[in-house]
Amino acid sequence: MSFKRFDQARPFVTLGVIVIAWLLVPVAVKSFLRVTFFELQSPVQVTASYVRDLQAYWADRAHSKNELVEAARELGHVYSGYEFQAQQTEAQQAEIARLEQLLHLPTNPGFRFEPARVCRRDMSAWWQQLTIRKGANYDIPVGAPVVYSGGVVGRVREVRAYEADVDLVSSPRLRLAASFEDDTRPVSYQGGDNPSLGPARGIVEFVPPDIITFSTNSRRLVTSGLGEFPPGLTIGYVTRLETGTDGLFQSGEVTLDPRLSELAEVTVLVPLKSE
Amino acid sequence: MYRSWLILFGTTLLLWCIVGQINHHLAPFGAFLSVGGLLVAFAALRLNLRHGLTATILIALAVDAVEPVPQLGSHLFYGPHLLLFVSAHVLIFHLRTRFPHEETLFGIVTALLANLGIFLGLSFIYIELGAHPMAHTAWLRLFADLGWSQLFILCVAPWFLALQQRALELGKVDLAAHNPRFF
Repeated sequence: MSFKRFDQARPFVTLGVIVIAWLLVPVAVKSFLRVTFFELQSPVQVTASYVRDLQAYWADRAHSKNELVEAARELGHVYSGYEFQAQQTEAQQAEIARLEQLLHLPTNPGFRFEPARVCRRDMSAWWQQLTIRKGANYDIPVGAPVVYSGGVVGRVREVRAYEADVDLVSSPRLRLAASFEDDTRPVSYQGGDNPSLGPARGIVEFVPPDIITFSTNSRRLVTSGLGEFPPGLTIGYVTRLETGTDGLFQSGEVTLDPRLSELAEVTVLVPLKSE
Repeated sequence: MYRSWLILFGTTLLLWCIVGQINHHLAPFGAFLSVGGLLVAFAALRLNLRHGLTATILIALAVDAVEPVPQLGSHLFYGPHLLLFVSAHVLIFHLRTRFPHEETLFGIVTALLANLGIFLGLSFIYIELGAHPMAHTAWLRLFADLGWSQLFILCVAPWFLALQQRALELGKVDLAAHNPRFF
């Protein structure tokens, strides 16, 4: 009878042993297992990413020459505009360097721009993350800002040999120092949720009470420059603010760009000082 | 005898990779599939405790490796999927003798119920314990994802359970040897 009872309890005893063993295992072993099992699956993710790129290449090849020439002409107009803006930016940076030297101001950190293809999007209600196809092999550090043409993408959370994980700006794990456009007072931004069939949202807190937004006139939220992100990058648009229970500050919702869930390529800003 | 858990780990890893690619393409539509119950079901229902748990632990570690580590306060909680998968496996193993655990229909029901339990467990860890700032709206998205996931399991489970059985047969694994009391 006692053997039968132990036989029935054996699975739960095994469960208890496994749980206790896992809790006692050193963090270094858990990290090693995590990296090992990630690298086991990594070739599948990267291969699928390259297959998608190849698919896009052959889809582009299916276009007629006239369509490609027309697309190249349109891009040429865009590039000429960007070239002029780049020249203006160079002149402004030279002026900033001259003023910093004249007034003995500290220099803002520069960045190396590292474009990276997205090989995996993982967006649930629990987390929002991307896996990009560059990692320690391109000297990408943990905590590096990640941007795209529409503004902030997120922050690098974990770097491996050939890939890196990026916490999206819509992830609840991400907090940023932000400010409203044309206002230098810092506010706090945190990722919120990613509803079905709708753009992702975040939360803005510690907003001064004199800042007003309307649903028809949303205000742009940008990075403040405090922290690793350079100033002025678009985070999202604040459509609604409400006063908190303490009456001192407001908080509200930030609507993020829908393109965040469709990104195929991002740019990692690698701080020059870290190299 | 190592072939049983190795083959089973291979099939579950294949499904996990496929679901990962599906989730990549579903991201623009705000949908996410979670198939933890289907990864655990066959091993818990058909293999003996040692080999079944080995396969479950391996696939749980593979799932934990690509998902972010939840942060509870100032501590990192490693292995949420491992603990939930192993708990589901043990519970299914304990109860399987009472039911026709070799039937495909029962396997589908088990996968659905296990997935529900694992999904709710992960939601509790990441949303409640992880102090999600918009928990009240996150649960709406969670229920939508749960619905999609259960529908996916309902469609895919018969094929996947048959695939696992066929893979074990091709690997010359005798499932009867894993259930000595019933043969």
